[in-house]
Amino acid sequence: MKLLIFLISLIVLSIAPFIGETPLEIGKLFDPNAMEYLLFWDLRVPRVLVAFFSGAILALGGMVFQAVFRNSLTTPFTLGVSSGATLATAIGIVFLPASLAALSYLFSFAGAFSTILLLFLFARTLSATQTNSLLLIGIALSFFYSAALMVVYYLSDLEQSYSIIRFTMGSLNIVGFKSLYPVIAAALILLAVVSSYKKELKLILTSHENAFLKGIEIKKINLILLLFVSLSVGVCVSVVGPIGFIGLVIPHIIRLVYKQSSEKLILSVFYYGGIFLVLCDLIGRNLGAVSEVPIGVVTSFIGGPFFIYIILRRKRHHG
Amino acid sequence: MKLHVDTVTTSYLQNISFRVENENVVILGSNGAGKTTLSKIIVGLEENTNVYYEGEKISSLGAKRRCEIVNFVPSKLEVFDDYLDVEEFLQLSLLNGSTLREMDTILKQLEIEHLKSSPCKCISSGESQLVLFASGLLHNAELTIFDEPTANLDSDKKIKVYEALKKYAGWKIVITHDLNIAYKLGYRIIYLEHGKLIFDGSSDVFFTAANLERLFGNSIKRLEDYFMVNYR
Repeated sequence: MKLLIFLISLIVLSIAPFIGETPLEIGKLFDPNAMEYLLFWDLRVPRVLVAFFSGAILALGGMVFQAVFRNSLTTPFTLGVSSGATLATAIGIVFLPASLAALSYLFSFAGAFSTILLLFLFARTLSATQTNSLLLIGIALSFFYSAALMVVYYLSDLEQSYSIIRFTMGSLNIVGFKSLYPVIAAALILLAVVSSYKKELKLILTSHENAFLKGIEIKKINLILLLFVSLSVGVCVSVVGPIGFIGLVIPHIIRLVYKQSSEKLILSVFYYGGIFLVLCDLIGRNLGAVSEVPIGVVTSFIGGPFFIYIILRRKRHHG
Repeated sequence: MKLHVDTVTTSYLQNISFRVENENVVILGSNGAGKTTLSKIIVGLEENTNVYYEGEKISSLGAKRRCEIVNFVPSKLEVFDDYLDVEEFLQLSLLNGSTLREMDTILKQLEIEHLKSSPCKCISSGESQLVLFASGLLHNAELTIFDEPTANLDSDKKIKVYEALKKYAGWKIVITHDLNIAYKLGYRIIYLEHGKLIFDGSSDVFFTAANLERLFGNSIKRLEDYFMVNYR
């Protein structure tokens, strides 16, 4: 089963840049004057890469949040990070002059980042065991941001509100490698940090009390993990928009397939999170509609039912 | 070993003070007397600045040092991950010089070797209590607080835990409801009731007829060296 999935993942990854609306002639891929060259190297390859590393960040981030908050339904999105980014982007779209439209990218990152700072400010006043309170604060923030987003909608014109809606649906449409680098860097840093706290993560997976008693600075480590996850998700959202469901679905599926404790699954969750988003994008691009289906819609359409199926199957196995 | 609990007061506990110096202690008390709360304060799980170990505030110790000095073995095994197994759980307690070999010896002694590869979430409450007890022995802190180590066990396992407790070389505080175990251990006894320290003294004094009557009324009946619940 594991080997089969791995082989499928390799196939998905290798064919992904070749399949699309315009068929590619392999011979022309290395001819800089051909249209194919541009299409392949400037659009398809960066797109597959951004999908892979975004999916990886969202999946690994979800797994870490679930361990720290001891709640299998937690993802960075539940804490309002994506809502913060969305709101800030919407503000950028409505209030920035069109000539500065490129700055909306910065707005989005600032929105995600300031939400994280706000959460940390609250977290400092909570004790180590009160992680649920932080979760509630995150949910409250999300609602607050949604309300503020409505106000921005109300103030926007038709074209602007269309842009806002498109951003909230998520998009992997990037051109060239420039906006790709921050996502790759964020993903690799997150992977390195989480891997370096493997032992601590294992203790957190038992209980916070146990981790505390076994000599871990539990409060500090929780904050470090949350900070790095939030930052990388902030980078990711600012480039591809809020893409839901991966942080929830992938860690669960990987756990059910591998049947191992989560700290051993860091690399698998990272890798298959990436593969899942590449696959969703592949489907979204090739459904044959006039224009592509937004990526957030695809992940939810595939992830939702599959997740319900997995949960129902698990219930039956446990009697 | 020098532990000093200096007028600890919380929303529930009232002015709890005692000193423990190179001796083992049993803490007894009715349900909700504050035994577990007091223990969590001693090990630093609940913040309180009035507990000292060798003259140092426990609350200001670094995490590493704290884990060498004190440990608390809860009465319920809490594990979030669905697949973390018993062996992995116990390996996390291989601290302060404990080895894998000692782990296997303890597992054999408590007759739970067969649980090694079972996920912690799938074992019974009695089994998980034994796993926790084993983790406490392995952690090997200078002072270990065992919270009701025999509560969910059958009589055979109670004897095994009792024997292991007796044999265990580290200093210990044992919280229990079981007067028989308290009596057999023979340690100094601290008795709590509604957040107040009611008795602090030797086992001999505690188990005099007059003291038992004062604390338990006629709900306990003594038959030679055994204590029975006096169902009426």
